[in-house]
Amino acid sequence: MSPTAQSGGRSFLAVNEVKKHYGAIKAVDGVSFKVGPGEIVGVIGPNGSGKTTLFNSILGQIRPTSGSVEFCDEDITGMSPLELSRRGVGRTFQTLQVFGQLSVRDNLIVAAQEFKGTLPARLLARPDAGLGHHADEMIELFRLKHVAALPAGSLSYGQQKLIDIAMAFMASPRLVLLDEPCAGVNPSLVDQLRELLVQLNKTQGGSFVVIEHNMDFVMKLCPHVICMVEGRVLAEGPPAAVQSNRQVLEAYLGN
Amino acid sequence: MNTPTPSPAIPPARSPWRGLLVLVVVVAIVAVAAAYAKRSEVYLLTLYCVYLMATMGLNLTVGYAGQMSLGQAAFLGIGAYHAAILLKLGVPFLLVVPIAALACFVVGLALGFPALRVQHHYLAFATLGFNVLVYLVMRNEEKLTGGTFGISGIPRPNILGFDLSGHLAYFYLTLAALLVLGFLLWWLLRSPWGRAFAALRDNPIRAESLGVNITAYTLLAFAIGAACAGVAGVFYAALVEFVEPGPFHFSTSLLMLLAVIVGGSGRFFGPVVGTIIIVLLPELLRGSTLPWLKFMQTWYLAVFGVAVVLLMLWLPGGLLSIPDKFRRKGSAK
Repeated sequence: MSPTAQSGGRSFLAVNEVKKHYGAIKAVDGVSFKVGPGEIVGVIGPNGSGKTTLFNSILGQIRPTSGSVEFCDEDITGMSPLELSRRGVGRTFQTLQVFGQLSVRDNLIVAAQEFKGTLPARLLARPDAGLGHHADEMIELFRLKHVAALPAGSLSYGQQKLIDIAMAFMASPRLVLLDEPCAGVNPSLVDQLRELLVQLNKTQGGSFVVIEHNMDFVMKLCPHVICMVEGRVLAEGPPAAVQSNRQVLEAYLGN
Repeated sequence: MNTPTPSPAIPPARSPWRGLLVLVVVVAIVAVAAAYAKRSEVYLLTLYCVYLMATMGLNLTVGYAGQMSLGQAAFLGIGAYHAAILLKLGVPFLLVVPIAALACFVVGLALGFPALRVQHHYLAFATLGFNVLVYLVMRNEEKLTGGTFGISGIPRPNILGFDLSGHLAYFYLTLAALLVLGFLLWWLLRSPWGRAFAALRDNPIRAESLGVNITAYTLLAFAIGAACAGVAGVFYAALVEFVEPGPFHFSTSLLMLLAVIVGGSGRFFGPVVGTIIIVLLPELLRGSTLPWLKFMQTWYLAVFGVAVVLLMLWLPGGLLSIPDKFRRKGSAK
C-alpha cells in the first residue's frame, strides 16, 4: 500500500497489516494505510466490514491479533486510550459518548483539562483549569451558546453529537478518528458539521480519519477515501475514483 | 437547532454568597441552640457531625465519582481504633487525626483496586466483603483491639492547653472539624478534580479517551472518601470514649449509603439532609412524647422503613431533588 498522495510520502499515522480475528471470524484481515499530516481520510464500507474494529485496534480499545500501528514514528500498537490521548490522538465513538450530568461547558473543559499541569496542580487550579475561554470559543464555533449551561444529557441527539465532536477537538489533537459523525444527525446539520471539520482541520492542523456512511459527506470532506469490505481494503484513492470503482459499486454502493 | 426544555436537574442561577449566608446562619443557630440543649441532645448533635463527615466522604466516592461502596463503616472503625490506641498512648489529638486519615487513605487506595475491575453490584459486594473482613479483625485480634470488649477510657482532647473534654466544648470542636472538612471537600469538588470525578461517573470509557486517568481518579475517590471516614472515626472514638466492633458492622455502611441516597447522591448538601434522617430522626421518633406520636416509641423502625421505601419510589434523586421535582411540574403545566 503506497502512502497517500497528500502525505507526500511522509507518514504520520501508519497502519501496517493490522488483523483482528475472533476465532474463525476475521473482523479485520490485514489492513494497511497511511495518513499524512493535516490529511483527511475517509473510511467507507458496508456494516460489518470491520471499520469500527479497525478504529478500536488503532486506538487501544482492543489489541490487534497481529500487525502494527505507528504514530509519528513511534510504535503505538496496543497502547491504552489514555497513553494515546497523551500523544495527541483523539476520537469520537459510533454511539453518543457525552457526560450527561455535566453542563455542555464542563463537557468541553473536562475534555482538555487533564493536559493542563500535573494531577496535584489541578487540585489547586482555577475551577475552569484556565480553559473557560477556549471552551467558550468552541461553544461559539459549534453554535451551542444557548445550551452551554445545560446538562449535556438533556439535549437533543444532534446537539449531543456536536458536543461529542467538539470534545474530541478541545485539546487540539494531532490526529482525530471520527466514527460515523453523521449517524443519527439531522440532514440540515450534516453540512454544518462538514464545514466545522474543514475549519478545524485548517485552524488546528490535525489529521482526521473519518468512518462514515453518508457518501455525500465523505466525498465532499475527504480528499482520500478507503473502502473496506469483509475486513480488507477493497479500494482506495480519490473519492471520485473510489466511487466509480466497479468492485466498490458491487460490494457497497450499488448502482 | 431547537432549544431544549431546561433540564429539571439544573439549579437556578443564584449567588454563591446566598448559599454561604444560609450556611452561616444555620451553623450559628445550631451552635447557639447547642448551648441551651440537654447533654443527651448535644451528644446526638455531635454524633450527627461525626457521621456527616463519613457520609460526605461517601458522597464523593458514590455520588460524585460513581463508585459503589458498602465499606464506609470499616474506615470509620479503622479511624476509631487508631484514635483509641494512639490517644491512650498519649499521642496528641491533632496528630491522631492526620494519622488516622492517612491510614484510611492508604487502605482506601487498596480498596479502590477492585473498582478498577468490577463495577456496580459486584463492587458493592467486594466492598461489603472488605467491611466484613475489617469487622472480623476488630473482633478477633484481641491483643490489638480488645476484641468484643473493645477499648475503653479513651480520653477526650486537650488542644493547646484548652480542655475540650466537656460535652459542649467537644461538640464545638467536632462542628469546627466538620466545617473544615466540608470546605476541603467543596474546594476539591469545584476544582478540575471534581469535574474529572463526574466524568468518571458518567462515562469512564469516554473519559479515558480524553486523557482522564481513570485509574488514578478511581483510587483517589475511594481513598479520599475513606480518609473522611477515618477523621470521623477519631471524633467518634473520643466522643463515645469507648470503641468496640459493633458500630462498624457493615449494616452501618448500609445506613451511611442510605443517608447519601436519601439526601441526594452527588449533591453537596445531600448527606447533610440524609444524615439527619439516619442519625437524628430515629432518635426524635423514638423519644417523642407527643400523644399522637407515642406509638413511634415502639414502631419507629417500621415507620422509618416504610418512609424510606416511599421516598425511594417518589424521590429516587433524594430529598434535595424536591425543588427540581416541583420545577419540572411547573414547567410541564
